[in-house]
Amino acid sequence: MSDYQYDNQTVKGFIVSSIFWGVVGILVGLLISVQMWKPEMNFPPLFTFGRLRTVHTNILAFGLGVGAIFGLSYYILMRLVKRPLLFPKLARVQLYLFNVGILLGGVTLLLGMTQSLEYAEFEWPIDIAIVILWVMFAVNVFGTIIKRREEQMYISLWYIIATVIAVAVLYIVNNLSIPASLTKSYHLFAGVNSANVEWWYGHNAVGFVFTTPILAMFYYFLPKSTGIPIFSHRLSIIAFWSLVFAYLWTGAHHLIYTPLPDWIQTLGIVFTLFLIAPSWGSVINGYYTVGSDWSKMQTNYLTKFFLMGITFYGLQTVQGPTQGLRVVSQLIHYTDWVPGHVHMGTMGWVTMTTAASIYYVIPKIYNTEIYSEKVANIHFWFVLIGQLLFSITMWITGIQQGALWKAVNPDGSLKYTFLETLTRNYPFWQMRTVAGLIFTVGMLFFIYNVYMTMRKGKALASTTA
Amino acid sequence: MEEDLDNIEAFEAKDTGRKLPVGWLILFWGLIIWGVYYLVSYTPSISGWSQSKAYEDSVRK
Ligand code: HEM
Ligand code: HEM
Repeated sequence: MSDYQYDNQTVKGFIVSSIFWGVVGILVGLLISVQMWKPEMNFPPLFTFGRLRTVHTNILAFGLGVGAIFGLSYYILMRLVKRPLLFPKLARVQLYLFNVGILLGGVTLLLGMTQSLEYAEFEWPIDIAIVILWVMFAVNVFGTIIKRREEQMYISLWYIIATVIAVAVLYIVNNLSIPASLTKSYHLFAGVNSANVEWWYGHNAVGFVFTTPILAMFYYFLPKSTGIPIFSHRLSIIAFWSLVFAYLWTGAHHLIYTPLPDWIQTLGIVFTLFLIAPSWGSVINGYYTVGSDWSKMQTNYLTKFFLMGITFYGLQTVQGPTQGLRVVSQLIHYTDWVPGHVHMGTMGWVTMTTAASIYYVIPKIYNTEIYSEKVANIHFWFVLIGQLLFSITMWITGIQQGALWKAVNPDGSLKYTFLETLTRNYPFWQMRTVAGLIFTVGMLFFIYNVYMTMRKGKALASTTA
Repeated sequence: MEEDLDNIEAFEAKDTGRKLPVGWLILFWGLIIWGVYYLVSYTPSISGWSQSKAYEDSVRK
């Protein structure tokens, strides 16, 4: 077996694991969406909303997201530096440890062990495992880049490097805590400082898990699948540096109108708005690239995935900064608007782009063609409709919620009780479950297509061997 | 089986590779200028604006 084949197996392992955790996370998502309008669907103590919500977010961010990032980054890396991984065995161990870590993480969350910091719920022993995993990843990425056989570094490599460094710094700093026992610890920072560090981490988890590695995929797989080179290399580079520079200052936009000092909030908002420019640098670059030959929308089935993905990224990166403004935040903060924003990003941008990249990679690894473009097209339309329905229902009910909360009588008292504002969400929450089901059906078509492609590839390999 | 390794040239358009669209440049610099304005207007030690004052004003109305 050649070095590349061995590494390809590792890449495939990460992709399959990522899909597996994706299924788990999405099914949990469906369940919690039902629990919000049908309380009988809570099964205490393990399967209640409070615990399952953390399972949903962590399994999808770390299992689906990070799993795909590990696998696809390695795939991109090897091809751009023209050599196999420097430490192939290490990558394989990383694959096994990754799955053990996510499993343990999920189980401990079900058992109620949590640091109570959003997206950093895993308790300290799991954190240590995650840091070890990340160091393994870093060693392989940097080692392979240092020993590269191609002098020039394409933009995707820069995005991967930024991901590796930023996630390491963010994760370690925010998880600094004082263990009280094996399963309980206290954040090293207290009060407002704790909140500030947490959201510096929280927002950059979005930036360096759900943005930079996905852009690495976008910049690599879009030209690969369409055969069109990226419109402007210069624009990609300037957008990259301004993005990584600005992102790290924006966490305070999650803490508007809180005890966090006013000047920190203001500074955060300034950088938040600035982020539109680097984000749209990539959006424009993507559009001009495909724009040089629109026929690719018809002739290559992956083009629409990438274009739709970058479109949602574009919408997300206008909506996000807008939410950071004080006037907007006071209406939509704490409402269902925010999950609407979240799922446009995670379903429309992250999952769309990642799925398309996997469609590209799996046939390459098996030296075959995709099983069915038709099934891929069905997948596309289902996830698109499911996601739009999810986001739109949440935006409507979110604005309604915010408006009802703010409504006051002439004497200054509140017009609506909290319960009144809550029950109005029910029809929208029910619609969200329907939206989730449509999205899930789409993902099942995706998984079926990937599975059949792998089967076809295996059959092919055994006849030619 | 041949591995398809990449040549970086294939990723970068020759004729447009160094272009920066004007609209994008306006956005970029515009947001920086807006940022300076916003920072000055909403930093308590510069403009005197503060969250609690803004709240009191809104309640008095
Ligand atoms: C069938 C698909 C899905 C359904 C039904 C679903 C459902 C939900 C529900 C009900 C919540 C809780 C909202 C709340 O507390 O008000 C939630 C939150 C969340 N979901 Fe999903 N989800 C799905 C897919 C995904 C995917 C694919 C991802 C990521 C890749 C994701 C990431 C998140 C995140 C990060 C949050 C936390 C949002 C916040 O704190 O504002 N979800 N989801
Ligand atoms: C320029 C880019 C972006 C900016 C400035 C931005 C801004 C924001 C803001 C201000 C909030 C807080 C809303 C509130 O609670 O009042 C938020 C929430 C969130 N955004 Fe974005 N967003 C951006 C892009 C993205 C992308 C690409 C994703 C990818 C999935 C994403 C995922 C999330 C998540 C998961 C939350 C919920 C955090 C929580 O648990 O409260 N955002 N975003």
